[in-house]
Amino acid sequence: MADFLSGYSIQNWLESCPQGYLEGTVYGHKPGEQEIELLKTNPVLHEDAIRTTVQLVVGERAALAASSGLINSAPDEASKRFLATQTLDEARHVEIFTQRLYDLGVRKEDLESTIARFANPNLVKFAGVLLEKVDKKDFVAGVVGQNIVLEGMAFSVFEMMYALNEPMNPKFAQTLSGTIADERRHVGFGENRIGSLLKEHPERKPDIEKMQKDMSYFMLATFADAFGETRAVDELERIGQERSHAQFHGADLGAMDPKEMEDLLAATVLKEFKTRLGRLGLQYQTPARP
Amino acid sequence: MNDVHDLDPQRFYEEVHSFEFWFQAVEGYLGGTTWGRRPETVDAPMAAEDRDRLITVLCNYCVGESAALEGASGLIVVAPDRLAKVFLSTQVVDEGRHLEVFHHRLRELGVADPEAEVERRASRSLQTFRRRLLDLVASKDWEAAIFAQNVILESLEFAVFQDHARDADPVTAEILRGVVKDERRHMGFGENELGRRVAAAPHIRARIGQIKKELDHLVLESLEETVRTLGMPRDEDERLGRIYLESVARLGFGS
Repeated sequence: MADFLSGYSIQNWLESCPQGYLEGTVYGHKPGEQEIELLKTNPVLHEDAIRTTVQLVVGERAALAASSGLINSAPDEASKRFLATQTLDEARHVEIFTQRLYDLGVRKEDLESTIARFANPNLVKFAGVLLEKVDKKDFVAGVVGQNIVLEGMAFSVFEMMYALNEPMNPKFAQTLSGTIADERRHVGFGENRIGSLLKEHPERKPDIEKMQKDMSYFMLATFADAFGETRAVDELERIGQERSHAQFHGADLGAMDPKEMEDLLAATVLKEFKTRLGRLGLQYQTPARP
Repeated sequence: MNDVHDLDPQRFYEEVHSFEFWFQAVEGYLGGTTWGRRPETVDAPMAAEDRDRLITVLCNYCVGESAALEGASGLIVVAPDRLAKVFLSTQVVDEGRHLEVFHHRLRELGVADPEAEVERRASRSLQTFRRRLLDLVASKDWEAAIFAQNVILESLEFAVFQDHARDADPVTAEILRGVVKDERRHMGFGENELGRRVAAAPHIRARIGQIKKELDHLVLESLEETVRTLGMPRDEDERLGRIYLESVARLGFGS
Protein backbone atom coordinates (compact mmCIF):
# COMPACT_ATOMS: atom_id res chain seq x y z
CA MET A 1 0.00 0.00 0.00
CA ALA A 2 2.81 2.39 0.90
CA ASP A 3 4.21 2.13 -2.65
CA PHE A 4 0.90 2.91 -4.31
CA LEU A 5 0.33 5.85 -1.95
CA SER A 6 3.75 7.30 -2.72
CA GLY A 7 2.40 7.90 -6.23
CA TYR A 8 -0.22 10.18 -4.68
CA SER A 9 2.22 12.39 -2.74
CA ILE A 10 1.94 16.16 -2.57
CA GLN A 11 5.32 16.36 -4.31
CA ASN A 12 3.88 14.43 -7.30
CA TRP A 13 0.75 16.55 -7.22
CA LEU A 14 2.78 19.80 -7.27
CA GLU A 15 4.77 18.60 -10.26
CA SER A 16 1.85 17.23 -12.28
CA CYS A 17 -0.97 19.64 -11.51
CA PRO A 18 -0.04 23.26 -10.58
CA GLN A 19 3.38 22.96 -12.24
CA GLY A 20 2.00 20.71 -15.02
CA TYR A 21 -1.29 21.04 -16.84
CA LEU A 22 -2.36 24.19 -14.95
CA GLU A 23 0.89 26.04 -15.67
CA GLY A 24 0.17 29.32 -17.44
CA THR A 25 -3.60 29.15 -16.96
CA VAL A 26 -5.87 31.66 -15.23
CA TYR A 27 -9.00 30.18 -13.64
CA GLY A 28 -8.25 27.00 -15.58
CA HIS A 29 -8.00 28.51 -19.09
CA LYS A 30 -5.60 30.52 -21.23
CA PRO A 31 -5.29 34.17 -20.12
CA GLY A 32 -7.54 36.48 -22.11
CA GLU A 33 -9.96 33.82 -23.36
CA GLN A 34 -13.64 34.78 -23.19
CA GLU A 35 -16.99 33.01 -23.11
CA ILE A 36 -18.55 32.92 -26.59
CA GLU A 37 -20.72 35.91 -27.38
CA LEU A 38 -23.86 33.87 -28.17
CA LEU A 39 -23.97 32.58 -24.57
CA LYS A 40 -24.01 36.14 -23.27
CA THR A 41 -26.45 37.66 -25.75
CA ASN A 42 -29.09 34.95 -26.29
CA PRO A 43 -31.31 34.89 -23.17
CA VAL A 44 -32.25 31.19 -23.48
CA LEU A 45 -28.68 29.99 -24.00
CA HIS A 46 -27.46 32.41 -21.32
CA GLU A 47 -29.83 31.03 -18.69
CA ASP A 48 -29.03 27.49 -19.76
CA ALA A 49 -25.29 28.11 -19.33
CA ILE A 50 -25.86 29.61 -15.88
CA ARG A 51 -28.13 26.74 -14.83
CA THR A 52 -25.56 24.16 -15.96
CA THR A 53 -22.67 25.96 -14.26
CA VAL A 54 -24.62 26.23 -11.00
CA GLN A 55 -24.90 22.41 -10.91
CA LEU A 56 -21.11 22.23 -11.30
CA VAL A 57 -20.62 24.64 -8.38
CA VAL A 58 -23.08 22.67 -6.22
CA GLY A 59 -21.34 19.36 -7.03
CA GLU A 60 -17.89 20.81 -6.37
CA ARG A 61 -18.97 22.38 -3.09
CA ALA A 62 -20.15 18.95 -1.97
CA ALA A 63 -16.87 17.41 -3.09
CA LEU A 64 -14.92 20.08 -1.16
CA ALA A 65 -16.92 19.45 2.03
CA ALA A 66 -16.53 15.68 1.62
CA SER A 67 -12.81 15.53 0.84
CA SER A 68 -11.86 17.96 3.64
CA GLY A 69 -14.19 16.15 6.06
CA LEU A 70 -12.62 12.78 5.25
CA ILE A 71 -9.11 13.88 6.24
CA ASN A 72 -9.83 13.52 9.94
CA SER A 73 -11.19 10.01 9.56
CA ALA A 74 -8.44 8.74 7.23
CA PRO A 75 -6.64 5.78 8.83
CA ASP A 76 -3.11 6.77 7.75
CA GLU A 77 -1.00 9.86 7.13
CA ALA A 78 -0.44 9.19 3.42
CA SER A 79 -4.19 9.06 2.76
CA LYS A 80 -4.63 12.30 4.72
CA ARG A 81 -1.99 13.95 2.54
CA PHE A 82 -3.61 12.75 -0.69
CA LEU A 83 -6.96 14.06 0.53
CA ALA A 84 -5.24 17.37 1.24
CA THR A 85 -4.42 17.66 -2.47
CA GLN A 86 -7.93 16.58 -3.39
CA THR A 87 -9.35 19.22 -1.05
CA LEU A 88 -7.41 21.92 -2.89
CA ASP A 89 -8.39 20.47 -6.28
CA GLU A 90 -12.06 20.65 -5.29
CA ALA A 91 -11.67 24.19 -3.93
CA ARG A 92 -10.05 25.17 -7.24
CA HIS A 93 -13.03 23.69 -9.09
CA VAL A 94 -15.43 25.68 -6.90
CA GLU A 95 -13.36 28.78 -7.70
CA ILE A 96 -13.18 28.30 -11.47
CA PHE A 97 -16.85 27.42 -11.91
CA THR A 98 -17.87 30.33 -9.67
CA GLN A 99 -15.65 32.53 -11.85
CA ARG A 100 -17.51 31.20 -14.90
CA LEU A 101 -20.76 32.42 -13.36
CA TYR A 102 -19.17 35.86 -12.99
CA ASP A 103 -17.90 35.67 -16.59
CA LEU A 104 -21.49 34.92 -17.67
CA GLY A 105 -22.60 38.11 -15.98
CA VAL A 106 -23.78 36.95 -12.55
CA ARG A 107 -23.07 39.76 -10.09
CA LYS A 108 -21.06 38.89 -6.99
CA GLU A 109 -23.84 40.01 -4.69
CA ASP A 110 -26.25 37.70 -6.57
CA LEU A 111 -24.06 34.59 -6.45
CA GLU A 112 -25.77 32.75 -3.59
CA SER A 113 -29.29 33.65 -4.69
CA THR A 114 -28.47 32.48 -8.23
CA ILE A 115 -27.17 29.18 -6.87
CA ALA A 116 -30.24 28.78 -4.65
CA ARG A 117 -32.52 29.51 -7.60
CA PHE A 118 -30.98 27.07 -10.06
CA ALA A 119 -29.53 24.30 -7.85
CA ASN A 120 -31.19 21.02 -8.71
CA PRO A 121 -32.91 19.58 -5.59
CA ASN A 122 -31.99 16.03 -6.59
CA LEU A 123 -28.33 16.98 -6.84
CA VAL A 124 -28.57 18.48 -3.34
CA LYS A 125 -30.07 15.17 -2.09
CA PHE A 126 -27.30 13.23 -3.89
CA ALA A 127 -24.73 15.30 -1.98
CA GLY A 128 -26.71 14.86 1.25
CA VAL A 129 -26.35 11.05 1.13
CA LEU A 130 -22.59 11.39 0.81
CA LEU A 131 -22.15 14.11 3.42
CA GLU A 132 -24.10 12.07 5.96
CA LYS A 133 -21.42 9.35 5.71
CA VAL A 134 -18.67 11.96 5.99
CA ASP A 135 -20.32 13.49 9.07
CA LYS A 136 -20.35 10.07 10.70
CA LYS A 137 -16.60 9.80 9.98
CA ASP A 138 -17.24 6.68 7.90
CA PHE A 139 -14.03 6.71 5.84
CA VAL A 140 -14.68 3.67 3.65
CA ALA A 141 -18.23 4.66 2.69
CA GLY A 142 -17.16 8.30 2.35
CA VAL A 143 -14.35 7.49 -0.10
CA VAL A 144 -16.57 5.17 -2.17
CA GLY A 145 -19.29 7.86 -2.25
CA GLN A 146 -16.86 10.65 -3.00
CA ASN A 147 -14.10 9.13 -5.13
CA ILE A 148 -16.04 6.43 -6.97
CA VAL A 149 -19.65 7.61 -7.21
CA LEU A 150 -19.46 11.43 -7.18
CA GLU A 151 -16.13 11.65 -9.01
CA GLY A 152 -17.14 8.89 -11.41
CA MET A 153 -20.28 10.82 -12.26
CA ALA A 154 -18.39 14.10 -12.57
CA PHE A 155 -15.80 12.47 -14.81
CA SER A 156 -18.38 11.35 -17.41
CA VAL A 157 -20.44 14.56 -17.15
CA PHE A 158 -17.33 16.67 -17.71
CA GLU A 159 -16.23 14.47 -20.60
CA MET A 160 -19.60 14.92 -22.31
CA MET A 161 -19.54 18.66 -21.68
CA TYR A 162 -15.97 18.82 -22.95
CA ALA A 163 -17.00 17.06 -26.17
CA LEU A 164 -19.86 19.53 -26.65
CA ASN A 165 -17.76 22.63 -25.90
CA GLU A 166 -14.43 21.75 -27.47
CA PRO A 167 -15.37 22.78 -31.04
CA MET A 168 -17.08 26.06 -30.11
CA ASN A 169 -16.02 27.25 -26.63
CA PRO A 170 -12.27 26.68 -26.10
CA LYS A 171 -12.26 28.66 -22.85
CA PHE A 172 -14.79 26.46 -21.10
CA ALA A 173 -13.41 23.30 -22.75
CA GLN A 174 -9.95 23.95 -21.31
CA THR A 175 -11.42 24.65 -17.86
CA LEU A 176 -13.17 21.28 -18.08
CA SER A 177 -10.09 19.41 -19.30
CA GLY A 178 -8.15 20.46 -16.17
CA THR A 179 -10.93 19.24 -13.92
CA ILE A 180 -11.15 15.94 -15.84
CA ALA A 181 -7.43 15.39 -15.20
CA ASP A 182 -8.02 16.00 -11.48
CA GLU A 183 -11.04 13.69 -11.33
CA ARG A 184 -9.07 10.91 -12.98
CA ARG A 185 -6.51 11.10 -10.14
CA HIS A 186 -9.23 11.11 -7.49
CA VAL A 187 -10.99 8.07 -8.95
CA GLY A 188 -7.63 6.26 -9.13
CA PHE A 189 -6.95 6.90 -5.45
CA GLY A 190 -10.43 5.73 -4.48
CA GLU A 191 -10.10 2.46 -6.37
CA ASN A 192 -6.63 1.71 -5.06
CA ARG A 193 -7.11 2.69 -1.43
CA ILE A 194 -10.57 1.29 -0.80
CA GLY A 195 -9.87 -2.16 -2.24
CA SER A 196 -7.55 -3.03 0.64
CA LEU A 197 -9.83 -1.50 3.28
CA LEU A 198 -12.82 -3.48 2.03
CA LYS A 199 -10.79 -6.67 2.29
CA GLU A 200 -10.24 -5.83 5.96
CA HIS A 201 -13.90 -4.92 6.52
CA PRO A 202 -16.10 -7.04 4.22
CA GLU A 203 -19.04 -6.55 6.63
CA ARG A 204 -19.27 -2.93 5.37
CA LYS A 205 -20.23 -3.93 1.84
CA PRO A 206 -24.07 -4.05 2.13
CA ASP A 207 -24.25 -0.59 3.66
CA ILE A 208 -21.94 0.87 1.02
CA GLU A 209 -23.86 -0.83 -1.78
CA LYS A 210 -27.09 0.73 -0.48
CA MET A 211 -25.41 4.14 -0.47
CA GLN A 212 -24.37 3.65 -4.11
CA LYS A 213 -27.97 2.72 -5.00
CA ASP A 214 -29.37 5.83 -3.25
CA MET A 215 -26.79 8.14 -4.78
CA SER A 216 -27.34 6.63 -8.24
CA TYR A 217 -31.09 7.25 -7.96
CA PHE A 218 -30.60 10.95 -7.19
CA MET A 219 -27.99 11.20 -9.94
CA LEU A 220 -30.42 9.80 -12.53
CA ALA A 221 -33.12 12.14 -11.24
CA THR A 222 -30.70 15.06 -11.66
CA PHE A 223 -29.94 14.01 -15.24
CA ALA A 224 -33.67 13.66 -15.97
CA ASP A 225 -34.33 17.17 -14.63
CA ALA A 226 -31.33 18.73 -16.38
CA PHE A 227 -32.00 17.30 -19.83
CA GLY A 228 -35.76 17.76 -19.39
CA GLU A 229 -35.35 21.45 -18.54
CA THR A 230 -32.87 22.45 -21.21
CA ARG A 231 -34.20 24.50 -24.10
CA ALA A 232 -30.78 24.96 -25.68
CA VAL A 233 -31.22 22.44 -28.49
CA ASP A 234 -34.58 23.96 -29.55
CA GLU A 235 -33.15 27.44 -29.31
CA LEU A 236 -30.14 26.61 -31.49
CA GLU A 237 -32.52 25.22 -34.08
CA ARG A 238 -34.79 28.27 -33.82
CA ILE A 239 -31.99 30.73 -34.48
CA GLY A 240 -30.49 28.57 -37.21
CA GLN A 241 -27.24 27.90 -35.38
CA GLU A 242 -25.73 24.61 -36.48
CA ARG A 243 -24.90 22.21 -33.64
CA SER A 244 -21.41 20.77 -33.49
CA HIS A 245 -21.18 17.07 -34.29
CA ALA A 246 -19.17 16.16 -31.23
CA GLN A 247 -18.47 12.51 -30.57
CA PHE A 248 -19.06 10.95 -27.15
CA HIS A 249 -18.60 7.21 -26.69
CA GLY A 250 -19.19 6.64 -30.40
CA ALA A 251 -22.37 8.74 -30.61
CA ASP A 252 -22.89 11.99 -32.53
CA LEU A 253 -24.13 14.42 -29.86
CA GLY A 254 -25.06 16.95 -32.54
CA ALA A 255 -27.69 14.56 -33.93
CA MET A 256 -29.29 13.61 -30.59
CA ASP A 257 -32.25 15.11 -28.78
CA PRO A 258 -31.90 15.86 -25.03
CA LYS A 259 -33.61 12.62 -23.97
CA GLU A 260 -31.20 10.55 -26.06
CA MET A 261 -28.27 12.47 -24.55
CA GLU A 262 -29.63 11.83 -21.06
CA ASP A 263 -29.91 8.09 -21.74
CA LEU A 264 -26.40 7.96 -23.19
CA LEU A 265 -24.90 9.79 -20.21
CA ALA A 266 -26.79 7.68 -17.66
CA ALA A 267 -25.76 4.44 -19.39
CA THR A 268 -22.13 5.58 -19.56
CA VAL A 269 -21.93 6.53 -15.87
CA LEU A 270 -23.74 3.41 -14.63
CA LYS A 271 -21.51 1.15 -16.74
CA GLU A 272 -18.45 2.85 -15.25
CA PHE A 273 -19.86 2.41 -11.73
CA LYS A 274 -20.43 -1.28 -12.37
CA THR A 275 -16.87 -1.77 -13.61
CA ARG A 276 -15.20 0.20 -10.82
CA LEU A 277 -17.32 -1.26 -8.02
CA GLY A 278 -16.69 -4.75 -9.39
CA ARG A 279 -12.93 -4.13 -9.16
CA LEU A 280 -13.45 -3.29 -5.48
CA GLY A 281 -15.47 -6.46 -4.89
CA LEU A 282 -18.71 -4.48 -4.48
CA GLN A 283 -21.95 -5.60 -6.09
CA TYR A 284 -23.42 -2.81 -8.21
CA GLN A 285 -27.02 -2.09 -7.17
CA THR A 286 -29.40 -1.03 -9.94
CA PRO A 287 -31.24 2.11 -8.85
CA ALA A 288 -34.94 2.68 -9.46
CA ARG A 289 -35.63 4.81 -12.56
CA PRO A 290 -36.89 8.25 -11.45
CA MET B 1 -1.06 41.01 -11.15
CA ASN B 2 0.91 44.04 -9.97
CA ASP B 3 1.17 44.78 -6.24
CA VAL B 4 -1.82 43.30 -4.46
CA HIS B 5 -1.56 46.01 -1.82
CA ASP B 6 -2.72 48.53 -4.44
CA LEU B 7 -6.10 46.80 -4.67
CA ASP B 8 -9.16 48.06 -2.83
CA PRO B 9 -9.91 46.10 0.39
CA GLN B 10 -12.57 43.80 -1.11
CA ARG B 11 -10.49 43.00 -4.23
CA PHE B 12 -7.45 42.46 -2.01
CA TYR B 13 -9.45 40.06 0.18
CA GLU B 14 -10.63 38.11 -2.86
CA GLU B 15 -7.19 38.03 -4.43
CA VAL B 16 -5.26 36.73 -1.41
CA HIS B 17 -7.84 34.02 -0.72
CA SER B 18 -7.69 32.48 -4.19
CA PHE B 19 -6.04 29.37 -5.58
CA GLU B 20 -4.32 31.61 -8.14
CA PHE B 21 -2.66 33.71 -5.44
CA TRP B 22 -1.57 30.63 -3.51
CA PHE B 23 -0.09 29.09 -6.63
CA GLN B 24 1.85 32.22 -7.58
CA ALA B 25 3.14 32.47 -4.00
CA VAL B 26 4.35 28.88 -3.59
CA GLU B 27 5.69 28.67 -7.13
CA GLY B 28 8.12 31.42 -6.12
CA TYR B 29 9.82 29.34 -3.44
CA LEU B 30 8.90 25.73 -4.21
CA GLY B 31 9.66 25.81 -7.94
CA GLY B 32 12.66 23.54 -8.59
CA THR B 33 12.55 21.91 -5.16
CA THR B 34 11.83 18.28 -4.29
CA TRP B 35 10.63 17.42 -0.78
CA GLY B 36 11.14 21.07 0.13
CA ARG B 37 14.78 21.42 -0.93
CA ARG B 38 16.87 22.17 -3.98
CA PRO B 39 18.92 19.29 -5.43
CA GLU B 40 22.20 21.10 -4.72
CA THR B 41 21.54 21.31 -0.97
CA VAL B 42 23.24 18.28 0.51
CA ASP B 43 23.51 16.77 3.96
CA ALA B 44 26.40 17.70 6.24
CA PRO B 45 27.96 15.01 8.46
CA MET B 46 26.01 14.68 11.73
CA ALA B 47 26.97 13.03 15.03
CA ALA B 48 24.67 10.18 16.14
CA GLU B 49 23.54 12.14 19.19
CA ASP B 50 22.65 15.21 17.09
CA ARG B 51 20.77 13.05 14.62
CA ASP B 52 18.74 11.45 17.40
CA ARG B 53 17.93 14.87 18.83
CA LEU B 54 16.86 16.11 15.40
CA ILE B 55 14.60 13.08 14.98
CA THR B 56 12.83 13.93 18.26
CA VAL B 57 12.39 17.54 17.19
CA LEU B 58 11.03 16.56 13.76
CA CYS B 59 8.65 14.04 15.34
CA ASN B 60 7.19 16.85 17.41
CA TYR B 61 6.95 19.08 14.35
CA CYS B 62 4.94 16.27 12.74
CA VAL B 63 2.48 16.32 15.68
CA GLY B 64 1.99 20.05 15.15
CA GLU B 65 1.61 19.70 11.38
CA SER B 66 -0.76 16.79 11.71
CA ALA B 67 -2.90 18.86 14.11
CA ALA B 68 -2.78 21.75 11.65
CA LEU B 69 -3.80 19.49 8.75
CA GLU B 70 -6.75 18.03 10.65
CA GLY B 71 -7.69 21.42 12.10
CA ALA B 72 -7.61 23.30 8.79
CA SER B 73 -9.52 20.57 6.92
CA GLY B 74 -12.16 20.39 9.66
CA LEU B 75 -12.65 24.14 9.49
CA ILE B 76 -13.58 24.20 5.79
CA VAL B 77 -17.12 23.08 6.47
CA VAL B 78 -17.45 25.74 9.23
CA ALA B 79 -15.96 28.60 7.17
CA PRO B 80 -18.49 31.39 6.68
CA ASP B 81 -17.87 32.06 2.98
CA ARG B 82 -16.41 30.64 -0.21
CA LEU B 83 -13.22 32.71 -0.04
CA ALA B 84 -12.41 31.46 3.46
CA LYS B 85 -13.10 27.89 2.29
CA VAL B 86 -10.75 28.28 -0.68
CA PHE B 87 -8.03 29.81 1.49
CA LEU B 88 -8.33 27.00 4.04
CA SER B 89 -8.05 24.47 1.21
CA THR B 90 -4.71 26.00 0.24
CA GLN B 91 -3.71 25.81 3.91
CA VAL B 92 -4.74 22.12 4.02
CA VAL B 93 -2.38 21.31 1.17
CA ASP B 94 0.40 23.41 2.79
CA GLU B 95 0.02 21.49 6.07
CA GLY B 96 -0.09 18.18 4.21
CA ARG B 97 3.11 19.19 2.41
CA HIS B 98 4.84 20.07 5.69
CA LEU B 99 3.92 16.69 7.11
CA GLU B 100 5.21 15.03 3.95
CA VAL B 101 8.56 16.82 3.87
CA PHE B 102 9.15 16.19 7.60
CA HIS B 103 8.33 12.49 7.13
CA HIS B 104 10.68 12.36 4.18
CA ARG B 105 13.42 14.01 6.24
CA LEU B 106 12.87 11.47 9.03
CA ARG B 107 13.38 8.66 6.52
CA GLU B 108 16.57 10.30 5.29
CA LEU B 109 17.76 10.35 8.90
CA GLY B 110 17.25 6.59 9.12
CA VAL B 111 13.72 6.33 10.55
CA ALA B 112 12.06 3.35 8.86
CA ASP B 113 8.49 4.02 10.05
CA PRO B 114 7.98 7.76 10.68
CA GLU B 115 4.36 7.38 11.82
CA ALA B 116 5.33 4.93 14.58
CA GLU B 117 8.34 7.05 15.57
CA VAL B 118 6.18 10.18 15.85
CA GLU B 119 3.80 8.26 18.11
CA ARG B 120 6.72 7.14 20.28
CA ARG B 121 8.49 10.50 20.64
CA ALA B 122 5.59 13.00 20.67
CA SER B 123 5.43 15.47 23.54
CA ARG B 124 2.41 14.90 25.79
CA SER B 125 1.58 18.60 26.08
CA LEU B 126 1.60 18.96 22.31
CA GLN B 127 -0.76 16.01 22.00
CA THR B 128 -3.06 17.63 24.58
CA PHE B 129 -2.92 20.85 22.56
CA ARG B 130 -3.84 18.89 19.42
CA ARG B 131 -6.86 17.31 21.14
CA ARG B 132 -8.00 20.72 22.44
CA LEU B 133 -7.65 22.28 18.99
CA LEU B 134 -9.66 19.50 17.38
CA ASP B 135 -12.33 19.87 20.09
CA LEU B 136 -12.67 23.54 19.18
CA VAL B 137 -12.92 22.64 15.49
CA ALA B 138 -15.50 19.92 16.22
CA SER B 139 -17.56 22.42 18.22
CA LYS B 140 -17.78 24.51 15.01
CA ASP B 141 -16.79 27.63 16.93
CA TRP B 142 -15.25 29.55 14.02
CA GLU B 143 -13.54 32.37 15.94
CA ALA B 144 -12.16 30.15 18.71
CA ALA B 145 -10.92 27.49 16.30
CA ILE B 146 -9.35 29.97 13.88
CA PHE B 147 -7.62 31.63 16.82
CA ALA B 148 -6.27 28.31 18.13
CA GLN B 149 -5.26 27.16 14.65
CA ASN B 150 -4.12 30.22 12.72
CA VAL B 151 -2.86 32.39 15.54
CA ILE B 152 -1.67 30.14 18.39
CA LEU B 153 -0.47 27.02 16.55
CA GLU B 154 0.88 28.93 13.56
CA SER B 155 2.68 31.42 15.82
CA LEU B 156 4.24 28.59 17.79
CA GLU B 157 5.41 26.89 14.62
CA PHE B 158 6.58 30.16 13.11
CA ALA B 159 8.63 31.02 16.22
CA VAL B 160 10.15 27.59 16.65
CA PHE B 161 10.84 26.85 12.98
CA GLN B 162 12.35 30.26 12.29
CA ASP B 163 14.59 29.95 15.31
CA HIS B 164 15.60 26.38 14.46
CA ALA B 165 16.34 27.27 10.81
CA ARG B 166 19.12 29.63 12.02
CA ASP B 167 21.35 26.84 13.31
CA ALA B 168 19.96 23.70 11.68
CA ASP B 169 21.91 21.52 9.22
CA PRO B 170 21.61 22.84 5.62
CA VAL B 171 18.89 20.43 4.46
CA THR B 172 16.64 20.86 7.52
CA ALA B 173 17.20 24.63 7.43
CA GLU B 174 16.07 24.88 3.81
CA ILE B 175 12.97 22.77 4.47
CA LEU B 176 12.11 24.93 7.48
CA ARG B 177 12.53 28.19 5.58
CA GLY B 178 9.95 27.02 3.01
CA VAL B 179 7.56 25.98 5.77
CA VAL B 180 7.94 29.34 7.55
CA LYS B 181 6.92 31.15 4.35
CA ASP B 182 3.66 29.19 4.33
CA GLU B 183 3.10 29.91 8.04
CA ARG B 184 3.31 33.64 7.38
CA ARG B 185 0.40 33.34 4.95
CA HIS B 186 -1.64 31.32 7.44
CA MET B 187 -0.99 33.79 10.25
CA GLY B 188 -2.01 36.63 7.93
CA PHE B 189 -5.33 34.91 7.29
CA GLY B 190 -5.93 34.43 11.04
CA GLU B 191 -5.04 38.03 11.80
CA ASN B 192 -7.24 39.39 9.00
CA GLU B 193 -10.20 37.12 9.71
CA LEU B 194 -10.20 37.72 13.47
CA GLY B 195 -9.26 41.39 13.20
CA ARG B 196 -12.35 42.12 11.10
CA ARG B 197 -14.58 40.15 13.45
CA VAL B 198 -13.21 41.73 16.62
CA ALA B 199 -13.66 45.19 15.08
CA ALA B 200 -17.30 44.38 14.29
CA ALA B 201 -18.05 42.64 17.61
CA PRO B 202 -15.59 43.65 20.36
CA HIS B 203 -16.96 41.09 22.86
CA ILE B 204 -15.24 38.38 20.80
CA ARG B 205 -11.89 39.62 22.12
CA ALA B 206 -12.75 38.63 25.69
CA ARG B 207 -13.64 35.07 24.64
CA ILE B 208 -10.45 34.82 22.61
CA GLY B 209 -8.51 36.06 25.62
CA GLN B 210 -9.81 33.15 27.71
CA ILE B 211 -8.86 30.61 25.05
CA LYS B 212 -5.43 32.19 24.76
CA LYS B 213 -4.85 31.83 28.48
CA GLU B 214 -5.69 28.14 28.33
CA LEU B 215 -3.66 27.39 25.21
CA ASP B 216 -0.64 29.53 26.16
CA HIS B 217 -0.23 27.26 29.13
CA LEU B 218 -0.12 24.15 26.91
CA VAL B 219 2.23 25.79 24.40
CA LEU B 220 4.70 26.91 27.08
CA GLU B 221 4.53 23.49 28.73
CA SER B 222 5.27 21.74 25.43
CA LEU B 223 8.26 24.03 24.83
CA GLU B 224 9.55 23.24 28.31
CA GLU B 225 9.04 19.51 27.76
CA THR B 226 10.86 19.60 24.42
CA VAL B 227 13.79 21.58 25.80
CA ARG B 228 14.06 19.16 28.75
CA THR B 229 13.88 16.08 26.47
CA LEU B 230 16.58 17.47 24.23
CA GLY B 231 18.85 18.36 27.15
CA MET B 232 19.05 21.99 26.05
CA PRO B 233 19.95 24.79 28.54
CA ARG B 234 17.09 25.56 30.95
CA ASP B 235 16.60 29.15 29.74
CA GLU B 236 16.02 27.98 26.13
CA ASP B 237 12.34 27.28 26.76
CA GLU B 238 11.90 30.75 28.27
CA ARG B 239 13.55 32.30 25.22
CA LEU B 240 11.38 30.30 22.79
CA GLY B 241 8.31 31.06 24.91
CA ARG B 242 9.10 34.76 24.68
CA ILE B 243 9.46 34.56 20.90
CA TYR B 244 6.11 32.77 20.67
CA LEU B 245 4.31 35.30 22.90
CA GLU B 246 5.81 38.18 20.93
CA SER B 247 4.60 36.58 17.67
CA VAL B 248 1.05 36.33 19.00
CA ALA B 249 1.20 39.89 20.35
CA ARG B 250 2.35 41.21 16.95
CA LEU B 251 -0.89 39.82 15.53
CA GLY B 252 -2.82 41.96 17.98
CA PHE B 253 -3.56 39.29 20.57
CA GLY B 254 -1.21 40.17 23.44
CA SER B 255 -1.96 39.55 27.10
